Amino acid sequence: MHKYFLLLLLPLALSAHMNIAVSYPYIGALTKTIGGEHITTVVLAKGNWDPHFVVPRPSLISKVRNADALIMNGGQLEIGWLPPLINRAANPKTQPNAESFLNLSHHVEMIQKPSKVDRSGGDIHPDGNPHFHLDPNNILVLADTIKKFLISLDREHATIYEENFSTFKSAWDKKLKVWKDKMEPNKNKKVIQFHDNLAYFNKNYSLNSIGTIEPLPGIPPSSKHTFKLIKLIKEQKPCCILHDVYHSTKTAEYISDKTGIAIVLMPHDIGALDTIEDLTSLFDHLTGTIK
Amino acid sequence: MKKQLLLSALCATMAFGLDTIAPEKRTFEQSKYIPDISLIMDASYVHRDVEDDELGHLEVPGVVHGLLGSHDHGEHAHATYNAENGFNLNYAELVLSSSVDPFFTMDGVFHFSPDGVAIEELYFTSTALGHGLRAKGGKFQSNFGYLNEQHHHYWDFSDMALVYESFLGMHGINETGLQLQWTAPTETYFMVGVELLQGDNDKMFGNDSIHLSELNATNADIEAQDAPSMFVAYAKTSFDIGDTTLLGGLSYAQGSSRLDHTEDEEPHAFSGDSKLYGADLVVKHHFDSYSSLKWQSEVLYREMDGTIYGIDDTTGLAGEKELLKEQGGLYTQLVYAPNTTWKFGARYDTIFQNDVTKANDNVPQPGGLDKYSVMVEYHTSEFARFRLQYNQNNALYEDHDDGMEQVKVQTVMLSANISIGAHGAHSF
Repeated sequence: MHKYFLLLLLPLALSAHMNIAVSYPYIGALTKTIGGEHITTVVLAKGNWDPHFVVPRPSLISKVRNADALIMNGGQLEIGWLPPLINRAANPKTQPNAESFLNLSHHVEMIQKPSKVDRSGGDIHPDGNPHFHLDPNNILVLADTIKKFLISLDREHATIYEENFSTFKSAWDKKLKVWKDKMEPNKNKKVIQFHDNLAYFNKNYSLNSIGTIEPLPGIPPSSKHTFKLIKLIKEQKPCCILHDVYHSTKTAEYISDKTGIAIVLMPHDIGALDTIEDLTSLFDHLTGTIK
Repeated sequence: MKKQLLLSALCATMAFGLDTIAPEKRTFEQSKYIPDISLIMDASYVHRDVEDDELGHLEVPGVVHGLLGSHDHGEHAHATYNAENGFNLNYAELVLSSSVDPFFTMDGVFHFSPDGVAIEELYFTSTALGHGLRAKGGKFQSNFGYLNEQHHHYWDFSDMALVYESFLGMHGINETGLQLQWTAPTETYFMVGVELLQGDNDKMFGNDSIHLSELNATNADIEAQDAPSMFVAYAKTSFDIGDTTLLGGLSYAQGSSRLDHTEDEEPHAFSGDSKLYGADLVVKHHFDSYSSLKWQSEVLYREMDGTIYGIDDTTGLAGEKELLKEQGGLYTQLVYAPNTTWKFGARYDTIFQNDVTKANDNVPQPGGLDKYSVMVEYHTSEFARFRLQYNQNNALYEDHDDGMEQVKVQTVMLSANISIGAHGAHSF
């Protein structure tokens, strides 16, 4: 009898540490860095696909259902896919009002908050540009937020989380200097993007984004807009097209063909390219690829 | 002096004028509590090679009559979507949703149409039960099968699958009641659910009394059945193989049947018990964030066992007979989305089994009840969709005095589905 009882307890014992579901891989990496061996992370979205369009596979319902906490990017980046998962999972710990629910966008300063919110301007994010993790300085803010969040859930291991955070912070601070120096020669360069997902990166390194291949957020390229962009490129001579990995580069290649502008693939998250295995390699790549 | 007055008036307006006080600083401001609101319109242009009047009289023999078109029975007239040749305003769907308190959310879905307003759904959902449990109460689309829970605007075709529409009508199982679902604490998605429903489906279920005396002076009226009179249960599971997701389910529904057609052209009524079995399978492969191939199929099988009351065709006298219907149908559809702008789809529908037994005698039914549909969609954004669809329906017959005559119905539909307001997010 006792034997069976122990067997029943086994799955509980295995998951004694916190099981944290996160929307995107970068959040998973940060959470794991701070949480260390006291947590497990479950990443819902794939790093090489468009973060706006995540397939709400039923297997993700199970992941949310079994989570002890949920950390999301916020800023409406998950609006098209996370709400039905949270609803279906019906997990009190992953409801937006729960203490074990963290919306990172509430803890960073968002830029590009539109003064006019109207869908005639495309599928804009009313709270501002949600791709804030691509400013490496914000990574520290996010790490600090996640540290406080983990401590609030698990005070017992507070010192460990504090230690992990300061180890991460000192390593990251060193990296910030390296990346800053690396990007120094690129200051004030003009760039083109597909979608303005590098807004925070560009702001931090003083890159000047002068146009996007999509005419408006979420609206696919049109020939009229592409011709306007080609004209703009010929006039303003931007250095390059900073292209995400998930949209087709077809239009960019056409523009490059007409203007000779370089196309630079810019990973947005861990796993976006095979070589991007962690946050450091993400920014190593991003800061080393613009020539 | 005048200048001063003007200036102070200006200052006063600036300081206290309504326009200059931020909404959130108004004392009893409540606008932050406005629920998520969206409005979806669905309209179409339809060209059918059958007149509207004739269409309403067609039937799927042995299964259902008056399937398509506008159709009167008794006090309520109702039309399916895209019922008329020419322009159709199918509905304006108003969706309101918000959390109620830490324990519930509430959703309301209202259809405004030229016929009036219908509460499509109005329910509260629990958020705090834990242990994978979720309870829902109110009026809602049953989670039976796959298609049943989805709203019209989310379907890949502008009309409902033949087997669903002919067994259950255009709303499927849409009832008032309670739902309890449990998601297992496993890595693989596994969910079971039960629903206790009022049981008012006018094609297959029901519990109202039927006044047979109007039809037949010799028979006593059929008494009302105790409600709720319908029960639904299902189990669903899903797993991924790379970027391919499989979702499968088995469903069961049972309930009492009271079908009152005493005011129809050919007055009749049915009283009995019905069972409905369903199996569904969805296989969806995503090539990348924007392109996918989706194969979706469902099989439904039903048994309706009871008594039919009507006028005997040969004697012209009122009578009653034992009636058993054992019927099965399926649809299978393939939809390819090469990008977020275009979608292409094809669907095959069939009623493959149609055994009708009256007083232990098999009543032969015509075979080959099927339907073929193809469609192409164009999306200007996530919020606007235009769809061109062609159907050939071989399942419709006209009941003449000398027997059944098949009427092949070909339909071309161009429909627009446009939404504003809150960003809708759909389940898989």
